Amino acid sequence: MSRQGKMTESPRMLHKKKKFSMYPYIFILPAIALMGLFTIYPFIRTIVLSFALTNKMGNFSSWVGLRNWTRVLKKESFWSIVVTSLKMAGVNLVLTFSIAMIFALMANKKVRFSKLYQTMYALPMAIASSPAAAIFIFIYRQKNGLLNNLLGTDISWLNEPSTAIWAVCAVTIWMHIGSSFIFLLVGFRNVPEDLLESAYLDGANSFQRIRKIILPIASPQIFFVLFLSVNSSFKTFAQIKLLTGGGPADSTMNLVYDIYKKALIDQRFETACVEAIFLFLMLFLLSRIQFALEDKVVHYQ
Amino acid sequence: MMKPKTKKKIKDRSAFIVKLLIGILFMLPIIIGLLFSFQTETDLVSYPLKFFTANPTLEHYISAFTTIPILHYLKNTLIVCVIAITAQIVFSSLCAYAFVFFDFKGKEFFWNVVLACMMIPGEVTIITNYVTIQNIGLVNTYPGLFITSMIGGTSIFMMRQYYKSLPKDFKDAATIDGCGELGFLFRVATPLSIPTISSLAIYLFVHIYNQFFWPLLVANDDKMRTIQVGISFLVTSDVTDYGRILAGAMVTILPSVLIYIFGQDYIIKGMTSGGVKG
Repeated sequence: MSRQGKMTESPRMLHKKKKFSMYPYIFILPAIALMGLFTIYPFIRTIVLSFALTNKMGNFSSWVGLRNWTRVLKKESFWSIVVTSLKMAGVNLVLTFSIAMIFALMANKKVRFSKLYQTMYALPMAIASSPAAAIFIFIYRQKNGLLNNLLGTDISWLNEPSTAIWAVCAVTIWMHIGSSFIFLLVGFRNVPEDLLESAYLDGANSFQRIRKIILPIASPQIFFVLFLSVNSSFKTFAQIKLLTGGGPADSTMNLVYDIYKKALIDQRFETACVEAIFLFLMLFLLSRIQFALEDKVVHYQ
Repeated sequence: MMKPKTKKKIKDRSAFIVKLLIGILFMLPIIIGLLFSFQTETDLVSYPLKFFTANPTLEHYISAFTTIPILHYLKNTLIVCVIAITAQIVFSSLCAYAFVFFDFKGKEFFWNVVLACMMIPGEVTIITNYVTIQNIGLVNTYPGLFITSMIGGTSIFMMRQYYKSLPKDFKDAATIDGCGELGFLFRVATPLSIPTISSLAIYLFVHIYNQFFWPLLVANDDKMRTIQVGISFLVTSDVTDYGRILAGAMVTILPSVLIYIFGQDYIIKGMTSGGVKG
């Protein structure tokens, strides 16, 4: 019966598919137009302007060839910003990922009320940078600051190059752990229960179960979290703007903040464009490296 | 000797308490903000600071609402959120629907456009976008604030994932029953997608409500500031009465925290279905 039904249907379906329809184009138009206007067009424009001089409004004024690039790449201060970006991203990445990993392994097993701590581990991800900065300035400030109070110290946490970078990273890490935690948790919970059960019966302890079963099976999610974290760890902006303004002595100046500063404070849009494209190339290269590693490390089922 | 069952019970209980304590420790910054926002200015500058005060006060909340246009900032944020979220849901649904249910010329090309856009971080294009907005005169306007948030790769991916999960038979059956393309989309696919759309909406709300960089550029005028930008100016301004800033911060985090707590299952579903490869 069903086979017969299929036989009579398919010619009609085939006919229907071949007919030209405007619908798909109308359906994708708003999305594609917006993406074209606010992602592709500005991306190309940023590349173009990195080879030009701009006026105070950020519009084209004349071609200069490679001069912007050579000027930026020759500057020592630029490379120190790149190094700071890498340093901050590294700290953010390693600590966010490891803490999220520990939290996800802790919350993995569903028990009664486990949702209570699951919510707590993820909650800071709902908090934006400005209120977070407000709270952390209260903690970090030198006079009547909570941290100095608790430690009995008198340190200006945000004004010392050696402590400022850690103070800013701590806020970023605190805000970013939640989303990594959620992705990891979902990955770990997808591991079949009976697999863990039988490993337990075979005498595997919890460390062995994590290492031999959970981590390999959840490796696509782990990889995905790493991929997202590498990207987001470079993009700290609001915390820097609100806590240190890139200082002291540029010790917390990363590329994203410098792009903002060059364009809107110094009104050197072409320099900002060079740095933006540099940031893009750096992130692109890192993602290529990660995908190459993925094939070696990740087990897809 | 204890029975193994009671022993296990004690072990589970203590593990639970440890996990809970770690959770409370992790939320400490929020708790700190909350506790100290109820302390008088005298308490806030006393040494040593105390977590719990004998005479809590609402003065900072009152002064935050009377001296800062918090409600106006919230209104601006809400307008941006509602328009951007609605647009993003409609546009991404239509777009994803076309990619799943139609075969059309250039399909692969346009899909690659979507993928390419997802490879370009917003931080790379934000300055140039600001110049565009300035050129077309949208600085300090609502359209300027929401226009760049009207579409997102994550939304398209999430809706595509959902449409792909619909059995193909549904479409065939609806077509045979005389349901046209639009009929199937609006009468079958969309009603069934309400859970997906809800999780997308909640995820987008937390995301757009918390935006900072873009509204900082576009809203120079205090009247157009969103809550995040408004509060940030308070944070970086002269800090004479810090209690008011803490109170403002607590008001700012309340909507997103509430939405997170009550919608977390939706957010988790949304985050993980859109992101994983498929």
